[in-house]
Amino acid sequence: MKSRPRAVTADLFAAASAPAAADPAPLQTLVVPPPAAVAPATSRAPVRTKHLWYAAVFPQLDQESAASNAEGRAAVLRRLSLHAQQFTSLVSIEMPNSLLLEIGGSIKLFGSLEALHADIDAEWSRLKHDTSSATAPSALAALWFARAGKRVLIEDPGSLASKLADLPLACTSWDLERLQTLHAMGVTRVGELLRLPRAGLARRFGPAAVLDLDLALARQAAPRRAFVPRERFRERCDFETEVETVAYLEKTLEPLVERCARFLRERQAGVQALELRLEHRTHPLTRVHLGLASTTSEQRRFQDVLAQQLSRLELAAPIRRMTLLSGPLQPLPAGSLDAFAHLGGAGGRDTAPQLVERLRARLGEQAVYGICPVPEHRPEAAWRRVHELSWCASPRGRDASSRVRGGSPTIDQDLARPVWLLDEPTKLRDSDVRRWRQGEMIFEEGPERIESGWWDGRDVARDYYIARRSGGARLWIFQERQSKCWYLHGVFA
Amino acid sequence: MPREASALADLLADARIWKLKDVSAAASRTVWSTGRSGLDARLPGGGWPAASLVEVLLDAAGLAAGLGEVQLFLPALAQGQRQGDGEPRWLVWIAPPHEPFAPALAQQGIELGRFLVVRPATATEALWAAEQALGSGVCAAVLLWLKGSDERWLRRLKLAAEAGGALAVLFRPERHRFESSPATLRLLLTRGREEPLLEILKVQGGRPGPVESEVPRADLAS
Repeated sequence: MKSRPRAVTADLFAAASAPAAADPAPLQTLVVPPPAAVAPATSRAPVRTKHLWYAAVFPQLDQESAASNAEGRAAVLRRLSLHAQQFTSLVSIEMPNSLLLEIGGSIKLFGSLEALHADIDAEWSRLKHDTSSATAPSALAALWFARAGKRVLIEDPGSLASKLADLPLACTSWDLERLQTLHAMGVTRVGELLRLPRAGLARRFGPAAVLDLDLALARQAAPRRAFVPRERFRERCDFETEVETVAYLEKTLEPLVERCARFLRERQAGVQALELRLEHRTHPLTRVHLGLASTTSEQRRFQDVLAQQLSRLELAAPIRRMTLLSGPLQPLPAGSLDAFAHLGGAGGRDTAPQLVERLRARLGEQAVYGICPVPEHRPEAAWRRVHELSWCASPRGRDASSRVRGGSPTIDQDLARPVWLLDEPTKLRDSDVRRWRQGEMIFEEGPERIESGWWDGRDVARDYYIARRSGGARLWIFQERQSKCWYLHGVFA
Repeated sequence: MPREASALADLLADARIWKLKDVSAAASRTVWSTGRSGLDARLPGGGWPAASLVEVLLDAAGLAAGLGEVQLFLPALAQGQRQGDGEPRWLVWIAPPHEPFAPALAQQGIELGRFLVVRPATATEALWAAEQALGSGVCAAVLLWLKGSDERWLRRLKLAAEAGGALAVLFRPERHRFESSPATLRLLLTRGREEPLLEILKVQGGRPGPVESEVPRADLAS
């Protein structure tokens, strides 16, 4: 405890240069001082720091219905962060409605703090966002000023305490209970709070309250998580002469795809989709969507799907320019990188995802699917299509399926089920039924009563039989118990 | 070989005589049991030959005969999926006449996590998909339902099956019976008096002819 870490300024920018594969930036360790921080006089002196924090609060975000949920707010703040990054490399999102910009390093570039502050404010009004902003040597103080709606520019950490004194306590965004207790004590302004003895304050409200005050007064450094923009691959290629054939287009795409694969490999990331945009002189944009069956960064698979899609493409007009865009980057599942992948596919066999995406690229996404049993008594509900295929050999999945088969009573081992199930049960004509019952058809097994589904309105009450027609064809037919009508539902192929 | 003359038997016992019949057997082809002992006995090696093209001609209009034609292959498919010590291999069913009923397949031991249904719009696309799946090397078997096709495509399927080590099963209407086919094995499944009739039309290294019907009801329940 002797060497208590006091400032981690070096860490402040660690996140800014961190790899940007995943969307959330790695969380920095917040150095929380031990509770003893309450007393010592040494910590009273402000941390020598050159950081200046600009805080912007967007009150609109609390009102707008479209952005009312946390997800929507975060999206808006991310978009605003992208704009803010023209002023500084360290932009941090403070949920639910604020942005913090470290602008100490940018003052020289923009001339003066006043000019920089005004520029940032102008950016928000250009984007049609009402804001209240403030600049202070500590992030928390800037935030408090901004929340209180005081547009101040403070450079000197020493003057922070006196400037903060006037702020109402509500700007701290502490929980209501604490604010009410303080209010009952007659404390309504930050200044009054600062005058309280530290030890008593810590005892009464916990060390967190004291820490907040220290952070606001820049006595403690507060590392923040930097906003890292989501990366995508995007590369454009302008043609000197317009391209009129798909074959030539495919050839010119090769280096682009190669660079895309390298871009992904360097970030240890993959994508599930690519988009190729083809621009024509007069015609509207042609978009070619390249869907991949699993996250990948393999050039060979990209080219595979591309070749299939391009073979079906009919050019409406000559192409002037093309752009290859990647979908959002996703971390690559471990172990899928092949050391010899770059050697090309000479001896390599396909993998299952490759096969599926090649089939889907040509036949359409919906034309290739898997099936899985559903524990259900009603035959039509006892299975479903699966479009999201799982690629890893899953002992887990096998366990699950064997559990379904063995343990659940709904999929019975003993009762035969037909290989083909008709989409809809076909009603049999009365005359046919009469003729069949006179000897043309033999009931081999049954009846098996299936009566289920009263809870969802599609209830059935049926007696199923396995019937053999003369000639040997085996059918799965049932009699509806209420109407006594006969239906064909399956074929034992 | 009881029916052969003893002189001929002596002659055949000579190691210098090269017998065509042995060649196919000596290649030690992987075979997958059909689940019917009577049929196994009639097939060289005792089962469906993996990495080859098997053609089944069906006496039915809609290719959904209900004669147990898929059931003939289900035990082999389950076995083929689990062959080798690696991951289970894939099964691909292309243009089946109806929806494959998942509980029925699970009952028969098919690993449905490795099962694909492909619904191509045209016959050419179906053949293309079959060729891709067979040649990919990740499939144990590809079943294809087809109303018609030409011999050239069948030859391509056969080559792809051999290259990818997969069993290709082609279901076609009976009217293609008298067309020439490159299939390793050709079967005809027709309606009989009581039970369906199965006839081997062509088999490499075996004898064609009708196969005695076994009551496949035991298979259905198993």
